[in-house]
Amino acid sequence: MKLKKVCTFFYCIGFFACIVACVKDVDFDQIEDVVLTPVYEVDFIYSKFDTSQFIDSSIPPTVTLPEVVISDTLNYDLLGTDFVVENLEQVILSFEFRNTIEREFTFSFGFLNDSNQRIGSSYTVVASAGEGSNTDPVLTSEVILLDKSDITTLSAATKLITEIRVQNVNVSLSGVLELKSKGTYFITYEL
Amino acid sequence: MKGIICLIFLLYGFLLNSQNKELLYDFVDVPQALLLNPGANTNFKFHAGLPLLSQFHINGGLRGASLHDVFADDGRNINEKIEITLAQLSSKDYLTFTQQLEILTIGWRNKRNENIYYSAGIYQELDFIGYFPKDFAVLAYQGNQDFINQPFKLSNISGSGELLMTYHFGYSKKVSKNFTFGARAKLYSSMLHLRSARNSGTFTTVETPQGNNVYQHIISNADVIVRSSGISSLREIEAESTSAEIKEGINKLLGRALLGGNLGIGLDAGFTHMINDQLSITGSFNDLGLVYYTKDIETYSARGNYVFEGFETPIQFSGQDPENFLEELEEAVPLDTLRTNYLTMRPLKLNGSIKYSFNKYDDGTCYYCIAGESPPYQDAFGLQLFTQFRPKRPQYAASVFYYKRWFNFLRTKIAYTIDEYSLYNVGFLISSHIQKINFYISTNNILEYANLAKARGVSMQFGFNFIL
Repeated sequence: MKLKKVCTFFYCIGFFACIVACVKDVDFDQIEDVVLTPVYEVDFIYSKFDTSQFIDSSIPPTVTLPEVVISDTLNYDLLGTDFVVENLEQVILSFEFRNTIEREFTFSFGFLNDSNQRIGSSYTVVASAGEGSNTDPVLTSEVILLDKSDITTLSAATKLITEIRVQNVNVSLSGVLELKSKGTYFITYEL
Repeated sequence: MKGIICLIFLLYGFLLNSQNKELLYDFVDVPQALLLNPGANTNFKFHAGLPLLSQFHINGGLRGASLHDVFADDGRNINEKIEITLAQLSSKDYLTFTQQLEILTIGWRNKRNENIYYSAGIYQELDFIGYFPKDFAVLAYQGNQDFINQPFKLSNISGSGELLMTYHFGYSKKVSKNFTFGARAKLYSSMLHLRSARNSGTFTTVETPQGNNVYQHIISNADVIVRSSGISSLREIEAESTSAEIKEGINKLLGRALLGGNLGIGLDAGFTHMINDQLSITGSFNDLGLVYYTKDIETYSARGNYVFEGFETPIQFSGQDPENFLEELEEAVPLDTLRTNYLTMRPLKLNGSIKYSFNKYDDGTCYYCIAGESPPYQDAFGLQLFTQFRPKRPQYAASVFYYKRWFNFLRTKIAYTIDEYSLYNVGFLISSHIQKINFYISTNNILEYANLAKARGVSMQFGFNFIL
C-alpha cells in the first residue's frame, strides 16, 4: 500500500511536469505584423560611346546634321511577375551622364507590351553638353521615381525602348558620352 | 511563402537538439539502453515492448535563438526583434528535429549460454537538420543595398532530412565478469530523403566606379546540389488531391517502409568494462552505415558563373542580340535535373561514459533487488560524452548524471548537460517496474518547462516494456 502511494506520487510529479510545461509571455499573433522590407540595388542600363560611333566620318566637315536619333529595343520583363506586381512598392531609377561632347543629349525610354504598344509614361533625361575632349566630363544626375500605380501599369511590359537624340552634329565634334544607371527596388512583403 | 516562413519560425522555436539520449544511455534498467549501446550490461531474461508504445522519442533544438527571442509579448515590434535575432544568428546555427517510434522490440537470453542476449526490432525515424542560411535570410529580409561588395555565400545552404524504417538485430555477450560487448546489425529502408551539403560559390554586388555601370552583380563559381529520393513521385499530391490519390501516396510510403524503399546497411557496437565492482566505463557507436539511393531519385544541380551589369542601350557595341537577362542567367548557370544513383552515410553517433556506483543495499533480504540478482548499488554518478556527425561538422554534448534506485520498482536518473544549445540543460528520467511491466519517461531541459518558449532544445521519450 505504501509502495503504491509512493509510485502514485512520482507519477503525479511526472504528469504535473508535463502539464505545467507551457509556452508563455509570447504572442504568436505577431506573425501577422511581420513585414519584409528588403531594398535591392540592381543595374539598369548603360552605354558609352564617342562621336565616331554615331557620326558617319564620310560626312564632309561643312555639313551639319540637324538631328541624329538612335533608338533601341530590348527584352525586359522584370516587372511582370506576380510577386513584383503585388509587393514592389516603389522603384527609384538613378541616372548619371558624364559628357565631354559639346552637345546636349536627350535620352528617353519607355516600355512596350507584347503587341509592341507603348504602355505607361515615356521618361526623358537631358544630359548637359560637355566642354570637348580632353576636358573634365560634365556630370548630369537625374532620378526618376516609379510609384505603385506606375508599377501596376508596367506589369504588362515585356520590352524596353530607349532613344537618344542630339542636334546640330558634324564630324568636328569629339568626346565621349557615358551613361550609367541603377534601379533601387523597394519591396514590402506582408506575411 | 507565408507558410514556409511560419513553419521556419515555429520549427525554430518549438521543435525541439541532436539525437542525444543522455538519460537513456547506460540506463540498464530499460531495454532501450541496448539501442544506444549493444554492449550495455543488462540482466534481462526476456523483454518485449508494447507494440508502437515501447519507445516514442522526440528531440529537437535550435542553436542560436529561441521562440521567445522573436515572439516575446514585450511591446516591441516583431520586425525589430526579427532583425536583432537575424543579426545574432550565424550560418553555424542550426535547427534539428528527430522523432523515433519503436514499432516492435523483443529480446531474449540464450538458453545454452546465459552470457548471450539477443535483441531485435523495428523502428521508424524522422531526422532533420537545417543550417541557418544566414546570408540568404539577410538578402531576403534586408536586400543587398546595405551589403554592397559583401559576398552572399552559397555554402550557407546546407541541410538534410530523412524518413526511414530500421530493422535491427543485436547480439550482446558478457565476455568475462568485467567485460560486455555487443553489436547490432541494421537494415535501413528509406522512405524520403533530401540533402544539400558542401555547396560553394558566392553572389556579390560589386561597386565598379571604372566599370561599364554602377555595379556588377556576380555569381561566382556557383556549385549547388540538392539530392532527393522518394519525393518526386509524391509531389503531385497536393491539398486538392482526392482521397484515392492521398491513399496511393500513403501506400507508397508504407511499401517503402516494408523494405520497398532505398536500402542501406548499418552497424552499432559498444562495450561495458567494469574496472572494478563499482567503477565502469562504456563506449558505443551507432549508425555506422550508408544508404544507397536508386529509386525515385532527383538531383538538382546548378553550376556556373554569371555577371550582370545592366542592359547596354541605346547603342550597343558588343554585337550581341538584344539582351534577355533571364535567358542569359539560365544559360550561364543552368539548373539540371539528374537521375543518377547516390550514396549517403548515415549520421554516425558516438557515446561514452564513466560511472561510479555505490551504496549497495544488502541486508540479506534483498528487498530492493529482483529475485535471483545480487543486491544492486542504489546510487551512481558519472560523466557521459556524446558526438553526432552532421553535414557541416560534428555536434557535441557532455553530461554529468546521478542515478538513484529508490525501490525495486522505482529508478531515476538526473543529468546536467552542456551542449551547443544550452548551458542549463537538466534532464530527468523516471522508470517504474511494477510486477513485470516497465514504464519509463524522460525529458530534458526541465528548468525551461515553466516557459518552453525560452528553451533552445527539448527532448522527451517514454515507453512501456514487459521485462523478465
